[in-house]
Amino acid sequence: MKFKKIGASIMTAALAVSMLAGCSGSNNSNGGKTTDGSANTAASADGNIESCEVTFWHAMAGEQEKTLQEITDDFNSSNKYGIKVTLVNQGKYNDLQTKLTASAASNTLPDMAQAYNNWLTPYKNKLVKLDDLVKNDFDNWDDVIESYRNECSEFGFVHALPFNKSTYVLFYNKTMFDELKLTAPTTWDEVKADAKIVKEKKNIEFIGFDDMAGAVEATLKQNGVDYIDDKGALFDTDKGLETFTFLSDLYNNGYARLVGEDSFFSNVLSNGKIAAYVGSSTGVSYIDTSKGWELGVAPLPGNVAKAANTAGTNLVMFSSDANKQKATWEYMKFLTSTENTTKWAIKTGYLPVRTSAYKSDEYQKFMADDATATASYAQADSFFVSPTYDASTDIRSAVAAKYEELVLNKSDANTWKKELVDTINSQY
Amino acid sequence: MEKKSFKGYLYLLPSLIIMVVFTLYPLIKAVVMSFLGDYSIIDGSYKSIGFENYQALFADKNFIKALCNTGIYVVFVVPCSIIISLFIAVLINSKIKGKAFFQTVYFLPYVTSVIAIGIVWSWMFNSEYGLINYILGFFGIEPIQWLNQPQYALPALIIFAIWKSMAFNILIFLAGLQTISEDLYKAARIDATPRFRVFTRITVPGIMPMIVYASIMGMISAFKVYNEVFALFKGKAGPANSAITVVYYIYDKFYNSNKYGIAAAGSIVLFLIILALTQVQLRVTGKRKKK
Repeated sequence: MKFKKIGASIMTAALAVSMLAGCSGSNNSNGGKTTDGSANTAASADGNIESCEVTFWHAMAGEQEKTLQEITDDFNSSNKYGIKVTLVNQGKYNDLQTKLTASAASNTLPDMAQAYNNWLTPYKNKLVKLDDLVKNDFDNWDDVIESYRNECSEFGFVHALPFNKSTYVLFYNKTMFDELKLTAPTTWDEVKADAKIVKEKKNIEFIGFDDMAGAVEATLKQNGVDYIDDKGALFDTDKGLETFTFLSDLYNNGYARLVGEDSFFSNVLSNGKIAAYVGSSTGVSYIDTSKGWELGVAPLPGNVAKAANTAGTNLVMFSSDANKQKATWEYMKFLTSTENTTKWAIKTGYLPVRTSAYKSDEYQKFMADDATATASYAQADSFFVSPTYDASTDIRSAVAAKYEELVLNKSDANTWKKELVDTINSQY
Repeated sequence: MEKKSFKGYLYLLPSLIIMVVFTLYPLIKAVVMSFLGDYSIIDGSYKSIGFENYQALFADKNFIKALCNTGIYVVFVVPCSIIISLFIAVLINSKIKGKAFFQTVYFLPYVTSVIAIGIVWSWMFNSEYGLINYILGFFGIEPIQWLNQPQYALPALIIFAIWKSMAFNILIFLAGLQTISEDLYKAARIDATPRFRVFTRITVPGIMPMIVYASIMGMISAFKVYNEVFALFKGKAGPANSAITVVYYIYDKFYNSNKYGIAAAGSIVLFLIILALTQVQLRVTGKRKKK
């Protein structure tokens, strides 16, 4: 009797947590061996592809999704092999990441997908190596922006083609700047000077950063300091301290604020509650200027150096079938062609992935009237990509949480440096 | 005789299979995973066997914070929700006009998506435009940074969750109230029993089984709180992780950090806590019944 009762409550509790444990998913448990992943090598391109269907998981919405569909329809109707690409919208980036992880575990990955490098580290060995294809069947690999090429071969082999790329720029309220006779800051000193004036005259904060972990990395680089390597934090130096003096002073003097309940600074800027913010160039579509103010866009300010974060995913291939690999490659090439990357960039606000696209008449004409594209291009020489280590994702979220805590506690520069170093090193 | 019981088991089989596949197997799997160091769900590989996931778990400040937060959450949400729900259920059950209307209104939160409610509440908690700060303003209270300041994040979550969990409790209390014989109330009226005494001596004992049920179910679901956090803080765990809960921690470890073993260990710890507390609850209420 007693046993029955205990048994019953065990079942109750089991039911209660089973949904959590349920996410353990399936695996093809091949014992306790640690497999050091070597990716699959792609089939060579011999120009002979049988008609087939290719599935592409993406996380694009709105105008971006519409444009992607348009380009894909174009491919489906124009390719001579009868390849049909099916787009599958998996929601937001987070959802896509989750679904890719789950399907990697159950061996049901799609033929291709959008992905950030740090998503892929647990299942690197499921990626198709693209080295041979890039070497033998890609019109001009050197035409692809260098930092993207490096990012796409970060695992020691080419695993991706760059796709929807963006950079962080400084969005500002030009109407307010003109009224206060300010110009967009290009250096840290100008940031501080402008912020002081805005605080005095308007009593609002001057600047905010949508991506706090990204802000730490970029400001360090702007001061000539490296962020992390495969062993830990690299900024436990005087230069590092100088960087955090700049950041902590901004917050402690009321020159900068956290986004908090407003989620994105585009909302805050739209409501006139902040003078400027650093955020992704694609965020421009969320800035609402209907309340009668003009938006200005500028490259990120620097100190001893210039550094601008880049973001956005790449196209990766998982297909194990030789014919499908060739078909997928045709489509990947199509998306990255000069013509299509230009079209994609103009319609969505992402950046072209090739130098020839930047130089095309079409893009130059577009850039002339587009402040965001102009500002992005102006800092193209200082683009950097966050390196991927096993701990990268954890570091990103831990640094963001710590950053909020440091700001809310009004910490001084020494505390910033010490706590951020500790936070990062404890993730390895 | 034997044939009969065979038939009985046959009827049980479908639900038993589902239980084994979706409850028992994942549970066993999670226990195994929790003892494997650096376990990968992709290829099933691991580096060591032992307690290292549990050690990592209890060395992680975030997990300790998640445990504390979840504890505070349960302690506040479950009793508050039951007391307020009981009060409202008794009011609705009294002879008032528009009973059906109120029943529907109070049940609405239960059938509405948590995400939708979360968006509404995150606006109500907004420090500048929010309804809650507006009302507090009438009493001369300065605007509270509900969702921006770590010290208010958990209270905001608890308020939201109490409101959210009331719907289900009210429903079962109303059902319970209807089973109490009208004769008992009549007798009390003849004796001119004070109202409060009627409530404590007739109403509460009458629906005691419902209160026990609501507290057990409420406690279990409160320990599993995740959706509410996600909805209120738009996918985050509050400012500087101040409203992180155990399930949020487990989810984050599993899907964002790919620390599958630690996530499994976290879910086993949660399992043991729920198991222990359900035992205590059943013992306590079982003794009451014997009296």
